[in-house]
Amino acid sequence: MFDQKGQIRIIEAFLAVAVIFSVLLISVTFPSSPNLDNQKSLANMGTQALITLDTNGTLGNLILQENWTDIKTSLDILLPIGVSFNLTIYDDNLRLVSSQAIQNSNLLGHEAVSVQYVCAVQNLNVQFFVLRLQLAWTR
Amino acid sequence: MIILALSAMVGTSKLMAPYLSELSHRDDAERFQQLASYILLNSGTPPNWGQMEDTKPISLGLAKADSSLPYELDIDKVSRLNSGNSYYLTYSELWEALGVKDATFQIEIKTLFDLSISLISNSTLGNQTVYEFVVATRKSGMPISTYLSSYVVVDNFVDNVTSSTGSNGVGSLTVYIPNSVNGTALMLVFAKAQVNPQMVSFNTYAFSHNSSPATLPNGTFARLSPLNDVLNASLVYPTTEILKAQIFTFNYNFSLTKKAQGTQTVEYFVPQLLDASPIIMVLTGYNGSTSFAEWVSYPQLPLLIGVDFSESIAGSKTVSISHIATINFALYEVVTKWGGLS
Repeated sequence: MFDQKGQIRIIEAFLAVAVIFSVLLISVTFPSSPNLDNQKSLANMGTQALITLDTNGTLGNLILQENWTDIKTSLDILLPIGVSFNLTIYDDNLRLVSSQAIQNSNLLGHEAVSVQYVCAVQNLNVQFFVLRLQLAWTR
Repeated sequence: MIILALSAMVGTSKLMAPYLSELSHRDDAERFQQLASYILLNSGTPPNWGQMEDTKPISLGLAKADSSLPYELDIDKVSRLNSGNSYYLTYSELWEALGVKDATFQIEIKTLFDLSISLISNSTLGNQTVYEFVVATRKSGMPISTYLSSYVVVDNFVDNVTSSTGSNGVGSLTVYIPNSVNGTALMLVFAKAQVNPQMVSFNTYAFSHNSSPATLPNGTFARLSPLNDVLNASLVYPTTEILKAQIFTFNYNFSLTKKAQGTQTVEYFVPQLLDASPIIMVLTGYNGSTSFAEWVSYPQLPLLIGVDFSESIAGSKTVSISHIATINFALYEVVTKWGGLS
């Protein structure tokens, strides 16, 4: 009787250890929540680049002149090396304004973050443009 | 059973330790991002600590006081981060002023793109010497098209030459210096990106004109410290004689007015200019028979202050954050690196 009790206790202990280790194994192998820090920092950089470019109305004037090359070059200088971007510009009715791709490389296959920015241009009347900037770290 | 239970507990704690440690540092990047923004968006205490040469900040902030523009930095606060300035703050003073005891940091402020100058030829033409320079403007190898404005300074002689760099980021500058002057010559080059005049860069190149001795490093004869619109020149030798003090920007150059003179110090007024350009101030003179051309930029850039993270322990987490900041209408890149105290 005494021997049987002891055996059950040992089996119980083994089971307890097995339970603890299985929980550990599950928690280790379970995918952790994605790290959003890099994405946040990328989004901040993109927003700041657009705000900087919009100072003194430079960005709005470039859009009115349809000078996509200068917008692309400005972003090339303002964003750190290793950041890929793709900028799309819409008018206030969300119709596409930029007739060509404003990008430095293809974002396909990279984890991208999107930033939306509204740019106002004041000439005879006020015009609004919606800019969607997609960014990704390529290295 | 006790042994089994104990070994299970030990095993659990061993396995969980790195994950628990990771969890405790999970918000570090977000926190460091907020700290970097805080430094660049706040003016610190007192708000004008940059201009007060004997004052150390109680709380750290580099933003210009009363600025309506985000990320506009104070030219004097930035200059006081440079160890070349007589009124510079040490890293421990900055760390104390930041007041975050479990974080270490590094601040780097530089132009948005690099400008390099190479002297490729010199030849005599009548009573003057012709120097040809090649200038390259690049950002991490990517060429930048720019407008160039350059000045050559020797003794009392100054000349301005303009040019540009093409789509390959390369341009040339040719300067003519009369042979009636001799000594250390300084070539100053400013570049403005063709797409945006606020994107600027600058560099200098010292060479010997019409004389044999090699040029000595900048700072050999005088330590120049610009602060609060005053240039303080601390002369290394009592025999040093200053010939001329001049100020240069992309569009302007003129002589500086003397404010005060001490035994081995001279002060000059620095005018406030609306040119979106760094300012370079040059002092030319003689120490005995040796001529010199000492220079300093205002804001005093590039600068790097703080912890050297390149030597940090492998595996320790470092966060690098990049911002664009405005100083005197021109744009610069501010890179802050952050790490924890283990």
